[in-house]
Amino acid sequence: MTLRCRQLVQSRINVVHLKRVCVGLVVATIVSACGVTARIEPYKQTSSVINDGEQIVILARKHHATHETEPDFIDCISDSLADGRDGLLVHSSTEFEDKLYPWFEPSLAPLTTTELAELLDRPGVLAEVEATGVRFVVWLDGSTDRTASGGGITCAAGVGGAGCMGLAWWEDDARYDATVWDLQEMNSTGTIYADFLGRSVMPAIIIPIPLIARPRAAACRGLTDQLRYFLTTPFGYGPEPELG
Amino acid sequence: MRISRHATVLRCLFGVLASTSVVGCASVVTVEAEFPPPLVEELPVRVGLIFDEELTEYEIFEKIPRQATWTIHLGSANELMLRGLFEGMFLETRSVDVLPLTSTDLYRLDGVIHSELEKFEFEVPITGRDEFVEVWMQYRLRLYEPGGTLITEWPVSGYGKAELGNKEEALNRATVVAMREVGAAISTRFAKQPQVEYWLQERRR
Repeated sequence: MTLRCRQLVQSRINVVHLKRVCVGLVVATIVSACGVTARIEPYKQTSSVINDGEQIVILARKHHATHETEPDFIDCISDSLADGRDGLLVHSSTEFEDKLYPWFEPSLAPLTTTELAELLDRPGVLAEVEATGVRFVVWLDGSTDRTASGGGITCAAGVGGAGCMGLAWWEDDARYDATVWDLQEMNSTGTIYADFLGRSVMPAIIIPIPLIARPRAAACRGLTDQLRYFLTTPFGYGPEPELG
Repeated sequence: MRISRHATVLRCLFGVLASTSVVGCASVVTVEAEFPPPLVEELPVRVGLIFDEELTEYEIFEKIPRQATWTIHLGSANELMLRGLFEGMFLETRSVDVLPLTSTDLYRLDGVIHSELEKFEFEVPITGRDEFVEVWMQYRLRLYEPGGTLITEWPVSGYGKAELGNKEEALNRATVVAMREVGAAISTRFAKQPQVEYWLQERRR
């Protein structure tokens, strides 16, 4: 009798324990499903660095029909680069485009450094660029797009109350290229490729609980850090190679 | 008597509701922007500018099925963009009203430009994956001799798009982008039009 009682209590404890483990596993799975996977590939081909008093400007590539870098992403990169103790001098994009109007409009903006050299040869353009104090132009290309979504949530309401049940998920891909041009050396300093994939989930057990990943914000932070390092460190990534 | 009063009240209520819903779906946009002067080499000619009412009070009204009615006021933006553009492109500009020019202006000006906004098309997405408001517009520029003879006419178009957020603001931004594109085309390609090139050569002599 005592033995049977012990076995019964133990099995109940095991069931309760098992339930907790199961709930824990489900919660952990859902939480771990939400997150951002980052990939950044920087490539610097010159040893140019920004000097005191020199400015940079962040411009969006606008000639694509399918996508365009979001204005608030440009603002995010510009503000973040200018922020902090080691902030860089960032020229306003709108002001730069206005001062050099119409040469940086989507249909006329130079696509290569050769075209840039031709543009700077035009009367008055070089003088205007020099007056802005801008040495580096950072061309941002890319956008954040929804690449996949699935699942579903069903909600119902009645006299006794209301509630939802289900699981929805979606993926946003923030993919950007930052190409840096040196207006002094008239060459391309290099490129930084950033791909931030964010998966968000929203489980609903009576109430929906949104666990949202923000890949665009993460891309802004990641790209800003890389750009800062890129513009302030010769050869950017590792010591300068020894020659001879 | 009582029934007819109730009917009148109901009709009034219905009228108010109907007009509210109609007003709620109507979007009015007055295009506002500042247009920078072009950074181009000044052409050594003096031109008169004709901006008639059709251009300076340009307004487009469009009813889009299942969406809304749009009223877009573009007149003042038209004049602001074109006047600033021409002032930066030519040695001297002056407003004129009619062609042929009066004897006072006849010998002071080398030519007259008449601008017209010929087409304005736009698209505001309702649903789906479209994320941009798009605008396409086409102006027609006519260059005349001071005596009123047509030298050439040139259609020049511009396209602009803006990320969809607030629909009215996005339409304003897309229109401004399209207008800046038009300005870019005029300021960089006007002197390259064959008849204009010849006209400029004649004036230089």
